Amino acid sequence: MVDAAACLMTAIDDGRRHKDAAAREATGALERFLRDVERRALRMAEFGTASREEALDLVQDAMLAFVRHYDDRPGEEWPRLFWRVLDSRINDWHRRQRVRGRWRVWWSGTGDEGDDDPIASAPDAREPGPLARLADGEASIALEAALRALPLRQRQAFLLRQWEGLDVAATAAAMRCSEGSVKTHLSRALANLRRALEEHQ
Amino acid sequence: MSTPHNDKEWIDRATALLDRSTEDLDAATLSRLTRARQAALAQRRTHSRRWVLGAGLAGAAAVLFGVALGLHQRVDTSNVHDVAPLQAGDIDMLTSDDDALDLSENLDFYAWLDAQGGDKSG
Repeated sequence: MVDAAACLMTAIDDGRRHKDAAAREATGALERFLRDVERRALRMAEFGTASREEALDLVQDAMLAFVRHYDDRPGEEWPRLFWRVLDSRINDWHRRQRVRGRWRVWWSGTGDEGDDDPIASAPDAREPGPLARLADGEASIALEAALRALPLRQRQAFLLRQWEGLDVAATAAAMRCSEGSVKTHLSRALANLRRALEEHQ
Repeated sequence: MSTPHNDKEWIDRATALLDRSTEDLDAATLSRLTRARQAALAQRRTHSRRWVLGAGLAGAAAVLFGVALGLHQRVDTSNVHDVAPLQAGDIDMLTSDDDALDLSENLDFYAWLDAQGGDKSG
């Protein structure tokens, strides 16, 4: 009887040790993933909020929610899921700002509806591109200003697809929209960015 | 989505600039990011520790249940072993041992009976 109990305890102990080792390994992988994406996530949130403090809060919220809900999902799904959580946080932030903005507009009696997305004319294929003639410092400032001026969905499509390198399907999953919408947002984003950057030259 | 060659050029430059912008973050910001990451992971460790504690408690409960069940069975088995030979012994006592007891208890009676027999013969 005592032998059976000791045997059972050993089996439980082995199982726990095995589970601990697996958990440590998974935590390590998760930490590496978060460390890899956190700076880009911060910049992305910063473009969305124009505030580092707000961006840091959003990234922290996104990390907490991501680990709470998706830490047991396979590693290859993490990028899509993490960007989806962050995109959702940025959208929520914008929604709150819009509500506050409406109150402000109602209170002050003035409004500014400048969120139109005109598609720029087709670019000249021989032109090297709008950033080519700018030095790095100037180019960075121009790029940040152009990105901040983009509508939220266009900016997210550009950052997730072009900067983060997600494919169309993963970008659509992260943005909770159709692949067709991603293509439209991206096409408009590129046209708007190009035009805005060309104005800087 | 395919991009024209000239688009690719400025997009590559733009993404390179964005990459560089992540390298220029100040120490306070990096520290906040590290704390955010650690907080998220600590939440996971707590969850995992809770799981291990739960498994440990379940294991301990299983061991206790096993021990209790074993003891219960042991008591029952000993009862069975005690009862069986006693029943056989009882039969023996009912046959030979009780007669012997009867003889020893009524020894005076048998001595008197024996004396009566001697008197009659004498």
